[in-house]
Amino acid sequence: MNDPFELLGVEPKFALDLADLENRHRELSRVLHPDRHVGAPASERRMALSRAIEVNQAFRVLRDPVRRAEALLARRGVRIEEGRDKPADPLLLMELLELGESISDARRARDRIAIERKFSELKARESASVSALGAALEAGEGGDAGAERAVKEIGMLRFTRRLLDEAALALDELE
Amino acid sequence: MVLLDIFDPKAAPRAIGIDLGTTNSIVAAVREGRPVALTTCDGTALLPSVVYYGGAGQTAVGRAAQARATTEPERTIKSAKRFMGRGADDPETKRLGAYKFATPESESDAKIVRFDLGWTTKTPIDVSAEILRSLKTSAVDQLRSVGGAVITVPAYFDDAQRQATRDAGRLAGLEVLRLLNEPTAAALAYGLEKQKNGLFAVYDLGGGTFDVTILSLEDGVFQVKSTGGDSALGGDDMDREIAERLLVATNVERTPEMVSSALVLARRAKHELTDAPETTVTLGDVPFKVERHEFDKWIEPLLERTGRACRRALRDANVSASEVDGVILVGGATRVPAVRAFVEKLFGKPALDDIDPDLVVAYGAAVQADLLAKSSDEILLLDVLPLSLGVETMGGGVDRILPRNTTIPAGARATFTTYADNQTGFEIHVVQGERELSKDCRSLARFSLKGVPPMPAGMARLDVSFDVDENGLLHVTASERTTGVTQTIEVRPSYGLSDEEVEQMLIDALDYGETDLEARRLADTRVEAERIALATRKALVADRALLVEGELETIEKALESLSAASREAESASPIQRAIDALADATHAFAQRRMNHAIQTALSGKTLTETAERVEHAAGIEAHLEQKRERA
Repeated sequence: MNDPFELLGVEPKFALDLADLENRHRELSRVLHPDRHVGAPASERRMALSRAIEVNQAFRVLRDPVRRAEALLARRGVRIEEGRDKPADPLLLMELLELGESISDARRARDRIAIERKFSELKARESASVSALGAALEAGEGGDAGAERAVKEIGMLRFTRRLLDEAALALDELE
Repeated sequence: MVLLDIFDPKAAPRAIGIDLGTTNSIVAAVREGRPVALTTCDGTALLPSVVYYGGAGQTAVGRAAQARATTEPERTIKSAKRFMGRGADDPETKRLGAYKFATPESESDAKIVRFDLGWTTKTPIDVSAEILRSLKTSAVDQLRSVGGAVITVPAYFDDAQRQATRDAGRLAGLEVLRLLNEPTAAALAYGLEKQKNGLFAVYDLGGGTFDVTILSLEDGVFQVKSTGGDSALGGDDMDREIAERLLVATNVERTPEMVSSALVLARRAKHELTDAPETTVTLGDVPFKVERHEFDKWIEPLLERTGRACRRALRDANVSASEVDGVILVGGATRVPAVRAFVEKLFGKPALDDIDPDLVVAYGAAVQADLLAKSSDEILLLDVLPLSLGVETMGGGVDRILPRNTTIPAGARATFTTYADNQTGFEIHVVQGERELSKDCRSLARFSLKGVPPMPAGMARLDVSFDVDENGLLHVTASERTTGVTQTIEVRPSYGLSDEEVEQMLIDALDYGETDLEARRLADTRVEAERIALATRKALVADRALLVEGELETIEKALESLSAASREAESASPIQRAIDALADATHAFAQRRMNHAIQTALSGKTLTETAERVEHAAGIEAHLEQKRERA
């Protein structure tokens, strides 16, 4: 895939203005969406379609802090291997595992309020992780230490999100 | 009837919008800048989505068909939409209903459910095509010439259901410009008079399907944030709640005729309860009284199911109910007072209903058809994939490729490797849905790629790309890179029809002979040639500065050849060749134009222009205002 920052014409950094990003995506969609090329020859329609797909995918990547961070790291030549989606810090991992346990317990007990509480707790951890990720990426400009820290933070975020998904699923069930 | 419509053979083809509903279908078109519903063969805007199949190949659609429902229930197909894209073993076939289903004769046969009429069988696609054909005839009568059609589908329709709808359109001889999601269509109808920006929810409870969509409107772009629903939940289920109790209370024998009568009576009772606190229906001489508060209780679980879908859609959009600026009601079932009360409580504000909930979707479809036909750039609809797409994993789980609520068109690529030494083929199963196990999801396509040379596990690689187009339809291509030779295959979903199959069915349907079909192909290609020539000329004028030396001459020559071919050819293929030649001649120019347009879009120049365009008031805000005044 082409570089998502380039596709949307924004500076490659973590702290993006999301409203501006949304505007750019909208303006590009105005030009590239297949509905704008209904009367055109088939080859032109295909071209517009594939570009619209690329732009949508880039937007999806940049909107999401985790994938945005990955895209930034990819620009620096850092790839994140699969399976590295656990927090490296054993203490934090332990805390998160415990949180996961308590969600499972609350799910079995059909305790809606407890799940909602865990959900908010995870949300708070998620946004703290996003800030930490941003700090690591901006500070680590050019250096490997920042990148290393960012990779760890991504693992943490991924794990937190898995738990959030589980909590959301549990809430769905209880509805 | 207006007598002023003088027949004009040169009338420009007009694009139409069709709401192909579970209970009623509507065809609409934009006239003098406003969408209007056209009169169907019943003399009304609403055509009951009912088809009657008589013995000698004769069919009736609409009220004429409905009249046969009680006497010949097995030959009278209602609510065919509920079976679109469904297999023979679908749970939907086991619900309370009046018809028989054919036992599939083969595995491929079982992919599509068939209504057994005794002497023949019909698929839901056949039935829907019959309804569309009738609507098309009515439209041709009133508009003189019909161009492409936009057909609406529930936002929650999966790929199989969408494919089936498009196939029905093609079978009816329509050029399907676009499949449009019903809630998005409704929003378009409401936001018509130029927009105020905001966040909206569309609550669409139709005869057989429920959809909820959260969307934002910003500077003429409707962007769907999330969508959810239940493609087997609607007003029909309310009828069943009444009918079931009616059958028990009157203790009649459950013959197909009785069940059918009970369902008709139940529907009548439901309608009467909209205005009256109680009503009485009589089945087999036994009167049965229903009070509104009882009915409200019976349908509570159904409403709760819609509430669950709404809450999930809000969560997916990452917004709360209070942030929603307006709620739009769509579908006849939203006339039920308990439904309105439920929606108002859920969102904490009165719902918008000043456009007829039965017609609003067709209006939106007509507007979109008109915008597409005129290639207008005022408004754009950005929709989403309603259900996640994935691939079955080794253990029968699902590997998500594209999550639900991804903006479409969307694409993703995945690489698969061999898991055993000397494995010579890949087996890929594409599914759609949110469940954890692939067997609980909708199976979309199963394909295998053979002939991989033997090598150690993990060495062979298969790249699969999944593209979802603006209609929500999936296209899969797979290429195998093992030996450096790229082998690409296009994967068709198992239930879709190929162009050849559609043509054969058109011939079989006795609507077209082989020669008629060739004539139609010629006419269609001519129309396309004209459209492309027009678009090319427009581009030459607008972007003249982007032409390189000698390019204009080449393109003009290709244009001339095309117009000559279009004039002189007696079959479609020479015209098609000229179209292809023109496309080749303009390819580089098109690429430059697209790059230029992208640059302009990113430079932000367009932002101020659109800001000016949006100055003209009204839109949804005006509807809200009206609503407040009436309240």
